[in-house]
Amino acid sequence: MSAKTGTINPPRSTVDVPPLNTAANKPTLAKTLGRLGLYVAAIAISMFFLCPIYLITISAFSPQKEIFAYPKALIPQSLTAETVLFFWNATGVQASLVNSVIVGTLTVIFALLVGAPAGYSLARFIFRGRDSYKLLILTTRAFPIVILSIPLAVNYISWNMYDTLWGVAFAHTAMALPTTILVTASIFIGVPRELEEAAQTLGCNRALAFIKVAMPLALPGLAAAAIFTFALSWNETFAATILTQRNRTLPALILSQIADVGAPLPYRFAAGFFLIAPSLLFIFIMRRYLFGMWGQVVK
Amino acid sequence: MNKLNSRPLWALLGTILVVSLALAGCAAPGTVPTLTPPTAAPAAQPAGATATLPPPTPNGGIIFHSSQFAPVNEAETMRNVILKGAPMLVDFQPQATGPYVDIPLAQQKAGKITIAVIGGQHGDFPAFVNAGLLDDLTPLLEKLSDRGFPETYLTLGKMGTDKQYYIPWAQATYIMAANKDALQYLPEGADINALTYEQLTEWAKAAQEGTGQRVLGLPVGPQGLIHRFWQGYLYPSYTGTQVGGFKSPEAVKMWTDFKELWKYVNPASTNYNNMSEPLQTGEVLIAWDHIARLKAALEANPDQYVTFPAPAGPAGRGYMPVLTGLAIPVGGPNRAEAEQLITYLTDPKTQTLVAQNLGFFPVVASADTSDLPPGVKLEADAIATLQGSADALPALLPVGLGAKGGDWNKVYNDTFQRIVIKGEDIQTVLNEQGAVMQSILDEVKAACWPPDAPSEGPCQVK
Repeated sequence: MSAKTGTINPPRSTVDVPPLNTAANKPTLAKTLGRLGLYVAAIAISMFFLCPIYLITISAFSPQKEIFAYPKALIPQSLTAETVLFFWNATGVQASLVNSVIVGTLTVIFALLVGAPAGYSLARFIFRGRDSYKLLILTTRAFPIVILSIPLAVNYISWNMYDTLWGVAFAHTAMALPTTILVTASIFIGVPRELEEAAQTLGCNRALAFIKVAMPLALPGLAAAAIFTFALSWNETFAATILTQRNRTLPALILSQIADVGAPLPYRFAAGFFLIAPSLLFIFIMRRYLFGMWGQVVK
Repeated sequence: MNKLNSRPLWALLGTILVVSLALAGCAAPGTVPTLTPPTAAPAAQPAGATATLPPPTPNGGIIFHSSQFAPVNEAETMRNVILKGAPMLVDFQPQATGPYVDIPLAQQKAGKITIAVIGGQHGDFPAFVNAGLLDDLTPLLEKLSDRGFPETYLTLGKMGTDKQYYIPWAQATYIMAANKDALQYLPEGADINALTYEQLTEWAKAAQEGTGQRVLGLPVGPQGLIHRFWQGYLYPSYTGTQVGGFKSPEAVKMWTDFKELWKYVNPASTNYNNMSEPLQTGEVLIAWDHIARLKAALEANPDQYVTFPAPAGPAGRGYMPVLTGLAIPVGGPNRAEAEQLITYLTDPKTQTLVAQNLGFFPVVASADTSDLPPGVKLEADAIATLQGSADALPALLPVGLGAKGGDWNKVYNDTFQRIVIKGEDIQTVLNEQGAVMQSILDEVKAACWPPDAPSEGPCQVK
């Protein structure tokens, strides 16, 4: 059943195919310039993101003395892993990296378990107060969490959730839910209701129709929501610092030993590299699935 | 189709789920790798005694919560060098400012304190004292009577009460450092170890003319310590006070002179949080900062720099000693071991180790500082010169301001911004900021502290 969903929408791509042998097909100056502009813009935007990543990476792998060299060489003269290794072997760093992955994954799971059904019901059911409910979800993002710091930690301690990874994941879930719910809601709106109804006429019950039809179609959107949620958890420092003592996540450890305490420049680059590298890796992996599946659904 | 292709994703997510749940289970509290193996394992405990002991030492050791030595390189030195010889396993937990204050307060409110020892600088403690978190360490201090702590430091540790809230740990101060390349611009006849602010201005001016750049640097960045420059250096040097002469004619002269000096200060100073980096990059050739924030440059290249005391003004050579201390929270765990840790950290040998490796100087009389690495030696020499100067005028950290310490610093920084950056009228600004200052003093009823003459009742801005 679900295997056929891809063919239900008739291919509409013919609309986009440029007509053959027309004057518009010949390269004109304006067209070439337009293309050039497009490429320049694409390169500029890529550079905007890639330059800092490149500079952080080469600085992380430069000898400490070279970091202070001025003007800075864009191509490193010599490479060494000394600073990076020192940071990597520093007390708690490896453990905190593992902690960050665990907290991030748990957050994705908790947020999707709670957020996806909420998003589905927002998309499928019309109920009294739906709009205010949507707004209400967003207000949690508007709330300045910093003023919660001590009360939150006090409750965590008395509930025995303090300094645990799942405790931090709960806090991150609470922060991520608004985005997860709204993103999944808009995904489920895009899945035609008729498909589920068709599945129900062919013998599925409501839950089965959801699992077999709606879910696979919504999967790319869910993957996107998962990326957002993971990134949020990965970058979050406030809850992670205040709610843990020994079980720090990587950003929390970096905050307390690098960023907010004026650690020397070389260590800041090393820490920056460790923050960037795993999340880039994660996005690259997820991206494959994201684009792959999206392509199919649109087909 | 979809079903087929989504399989690897589900497999991936499933595997991650199983692995992370398994790991989260394993990673229950206390799995951070052990930090400092105990040199003398606590084997001295008789086997039967363990049951009667209060909370057992957690896996990672007793928790030492600290705002000091937090940068990863210093924290590792703390763990692998300083605390290695401690008689117990210590979990050294450095913290950034916010969590440093919030975590103990939250634990206190929840009635479950896991922190055994709190280390911080003088200005960190008021928040804890106000919350009633810190225990009176007078009995411990009596046991440490052979240490020979300076009386002034013990008084600071009482936080204006008769209880010993913290025990002095290590001290530091602020000095100046210059790249030897800048020495050629030193005005003729000026002794670098006995500079005046006038000569510093001339020097910076000549260096700018010579190099084409403004090479004097000050830590005016968001996390820089420039407020100590106004409080402990400029004001005492010009007015002989930190508070009383805040809006005096001498203060007007001081700000006028400083505005002149600012013309030769590197404009990037408003981004500098510590001066060792601009010194190392060469953007700055002459700098004033906390010794801990100059250390990296001096250590990296000790032959390239000279160190010297901050300049003198008409009233003397103002300088500010900085004090760090050790405290124990009321109701904290492992009390006996916490006291042992403080005993260990104030031991002259440990104090020497801290000076050699971390560049903070001993607070006990008998610590040996004859064998220091070159970078730290440069700093020690400048401090010795400073303390030996006939016109040295020590200005204490604010005493008795409690939680208002931050507001107090802001008064000085705002005054600087309005007068120097925005160019407002000096006397007007001083009058207005002086009123803010007085309201803080009245609110906390703080008496004057050195170099101001002692006062009865709240200190007065004259």
